[in-house]
Amino acid sequence: MTSPVRAAQPWPSQPWGPADGGASTDTDTMFGGKLPGMRLINWIWHVRGSLALAPGQSSDDAFERLAPLFSETGTSHERTNDTLTFSKKDQPAQDKMSVFDSGALRIERGAAESVLHYHLISRALLFCFLLVPLFLGIAQLTIAMGKFQKPATEAAASSGKATDASKKDAAQAEADKAAPVPLNPIDKFLGAPEPEKPKKGEEKPGRRNKKPSSTPAYVFAAIFATLYVIGRILEAWLVKRLFKRRLADA
Amino acid sequence: MDGIRVGNRVVGTQSPVTIGWENIPKVEGGPVKQFIFTWFQPTFLFALLAFWYYAPNSIAKASTAIGIGIGFRVLMLGLEWVNPRYASWRLTWKELVVDLFYVGLTYTVLRIVDSYIGSDVVVKAVQDHFHMDRFAWFTGLPLLLQAFLIAFIFDFGQYWMHRGMHNWYPLWLPHSVHHYITQLNINKGAVGNPVELFLIGLGIGGFFDFVPRAFLLAGTFGLAVGTYQHINVRFNSPKWWRFLFTTTEHHSLHHSQDYESTRSNYAGSFVFIDRMFGTCIDGEAELLGMEGGRRMTVREQMTYPFTEGWKAIKERFGRPSVAVPAE
Repeated sequence: MTSPVRAAQPWPSQPWGPADGGASTDTDTMFGGKLPGMRLINWIWHVRGSLALAPGQSSDDAFERLAPLFSETGTSHERTNDTLTFSKKDQPAQDKMSVFDSGALRIERGAAESVLHYHLISRALLFCFLLVPLFLGIAQLTIAMGKFQKPATEAAASSGKATDASKKDAAQAEADKAAPVPLNPIDKFLGAPEPEKPKKGEEKPGRRNKKPSSTPAYVFAAIFATLYVIGRILEAWLVKRLFKRRLADA
Repeated sequence: MDGIRVGNRVVGTQSPVTIGWENIPKVEGGPVKQFIFTWFQPTFLFALLAFWYYAPNSIAKASTAIGIGIGFRVLMLGLEWVNPRYASWRLTWKELVVDLFYVGLTYTVLRIVDSYIGSDVVVKAVQDHFHMDRFAWFTGLPLLLQAFLIAFIFDFGQYWMHRGMHNWYPLWLPHSVHHYITQLNINKGAVGNPVELFLIGLGIGGFFDFVPRAFLLAGTFGLAVGTYQHINVRFNSPKWWRFLFTTTEHHSLHHSQDYESTRSNYAGSFVFIDRMFGTCIDGEAELLGMEGGRRMTVREQMTYPFTEGWKAIKERFGRPSVAVPAE
């Protein structure tokens, strides 16, 4: 049976090179995926990077220093020689790698220096990316619903069978309602402004206009687009800094 | 864990909590920082009340209130950065995205739903059916009293809705999702299953008529008091403030991993309602959440009440599995 960690790893079972054990230098094949161009698409939620180890630092030493990162609640990991794969489930916000859900780290030993390559997958990045079209869709839905409601309201108004007299009564009642209530004497004494009769079409103070508008949805789409760009850069930088600090820890 | 006796109950048996104001840490730092984080809350509350009380009609509008609300939240984000209550509650990019997703839902989808089946719509239908008018005598009261009544009526309703959610399983299911958060931040109040967000927004305010300016004044209590429920800022709130108003301390205890502590401090703004009904505990907690701090994914937050509800229905009404005796 495939272990949950193995099932979650982001590449086929021979990710680091040919089955005969020969060294591979084609990192695109290693990290890319089966479809050409997939790497370009999954760049949205896949973070790849590499980090040079200190001269003479062994794989064992490097993974030992990184081990606390993979001992967090909800994290399971598996290590084979120069490779560590991990997956996270329901990871708490306090986990320093909580933004990532699975991934793999591999140490490639070179003649001069060893390099840590990592490939991490973040559903949070994908979620944030997809929130942009979601909120744009909500904006369109709000507009469509507004259009749908408008003809219904107009139809109801035109088919109204109210008599002229009752219409006049209703208009009078409406006008009475619109008339501002005089201020309480205490408020008058304290100098609060007298309420004005609201002009037609002007925004009413106090109670918010409850009619849904598409503006908030557009604003949130813009917020998530900005947050995605920030997150894609920030999280890649933060995880690199995290690995760097852990590897350098005495 | 031994726990701490508070009245008839023992709290903190399942996870650590701090009880009593004298045991709660104070703001650390120089005199300027101490001064700011001691007087910020009352100063802002009274300044905002004065603003809405005296603002000319051309400024006293809902759009101004929205602007102030956004500005205040940005300021709080800055304060969370400068003076966090707990480092373990530090806002991360992922938490911010998820929190804002729920804020976005509240401002868009839930607003559409509210426009069809919200409490204001239901109240209006009831009024139309029974040919009732709004109770208008409130409009003659002083503005600040009207504002307090609006805020109090809403908070009183919320208190019982919230308490009901903690005591009746069908209501607990949608609310439970909100209790899986493991830290408090400025937008965490919006995190929860949409069904709960809809339920908690229900109110009977539509039955009453108030002067429009009183609504803006009432909103001040929500903004300059209620917002502090979910926030990662350490304040030295004055004694009278924490006696009257719900603080982060109160609400963190309500979110504790300790079950008995979660059954306290239900009010959103006016903690004296909890004091009236004997559910107030003065204290705080750092370890928050359910199931030992398991964080739910967004997918689970959306589906949990329905999947758990279905399980409960099946258990109650489903056919019991008959054990076949071995021959």
